[in-house]
Amino acid sequence: MAAETELDPVIHAPARLRIAVTLATLRDEDSLSFSRLQELLGLTAGNLITHLRKLEDAGYVTTVKAGRGVTSRTSVRLSPQGRRALDSYTAVLRQLLDSASTNGTSPH
Amino acid sequence: MLEDQDMSVREAAAFAQDARARARKELVISTPLVYMAWGMVWLIGYGAMWLSVRGQHPYTGPSGVAIAAVFVLAGFAIAAVLVIAHKAVAGIDGQSVRHRRIIGSTWAIGYLILLIVAPAVSSSVSTRTLAFISFAGPVALVGLTYILAAALGRYWSALALGVWLVIVGTSCAWLAPATILATCALGGGGAFLLMAVIETRLRAHGS
Repeated sequence: MAAETELDPVIHAPARLRIAVTLATLRDEDSLSFSRLQELLGLTAGNLITHLRKLEDAGYVTTVKAGRGVTSRTSVRLSPQGRRALDSYTAVLRQLLDSASTNGTSPH
Repeated sequence: MLEDQDMSVREAAAFAQDARARARKELVISTPLVYMAWGMVWLIGYGAMWLSVRGQHPYTGPSGVAIAAVFVLAGFAIAAVLVIAHKAVAGIDGQSVRHRRIIGSTWAIGYLILLIVAPAVSSSVSTRTLAFISFAGPVALVGLTYILAAALGRYWSALALGVWLVIVGTSCAWLAPATILATCALGGGGAFLLMAVIETRLRAHGS
């Protein structure tokens, strides 16, 4: 997990941030199909797989495959660890924005 | 877009906000719309039946036209709710899907029981008792279904609505048939419409 003043590099990328935030909208035990996630984010399948792999390697998402052949379906779920990581990422983001507005500096 | 590009903190905050808003719009069932649909059905349906029995001496029950209007309105509301829910939950799997099946089945079985029981006892109970079973029964049943939904999914607004509907339905046990219909129209339909407004405001504030 990232230190309290640092943004988690696994989440701090546009696509992965959107994946994590989208999956966090679901209830704890729910998962979203790969195709619906792809449709929502407007990413290519290859791009989405790449980013999901990075999130999965960090333990932030779990993917489950069900069925075989043409009826197979891949679902993606934010893990409890991923949910905690997104919460801390959001908290750090808010801290950085607050301190930048207090200091009158640009938050980069 | 370069998907691994650097983001400033401000850009990241904007990305997160946009993604959250879009996900909520696409993946969460619009409860204000659902409440609005049922509120209109109950207000207009029970209201139409009340208008048709107002001033009846003796009480003979709602007119066929009013009852038919209720069934047509309910049909539209069920179709609208199914479309709204199906659009939102497409691709979602897990516990909430199982919960929705339990809630939907409870609601359907409860209505089926009322549809069987009311005609079966119609010749052996007073018109007042029959009016209570037929008109207040569905209100109390829907209230219990919302309490179940609240217990399963931690939807606190559903709990408030459920408890209120059970109180409205139960209070009809002491009322005359025409007053039961007016109570269900205002206390039931009005509660749904009020919850639609409250939920819309809560959503606007990100709760």
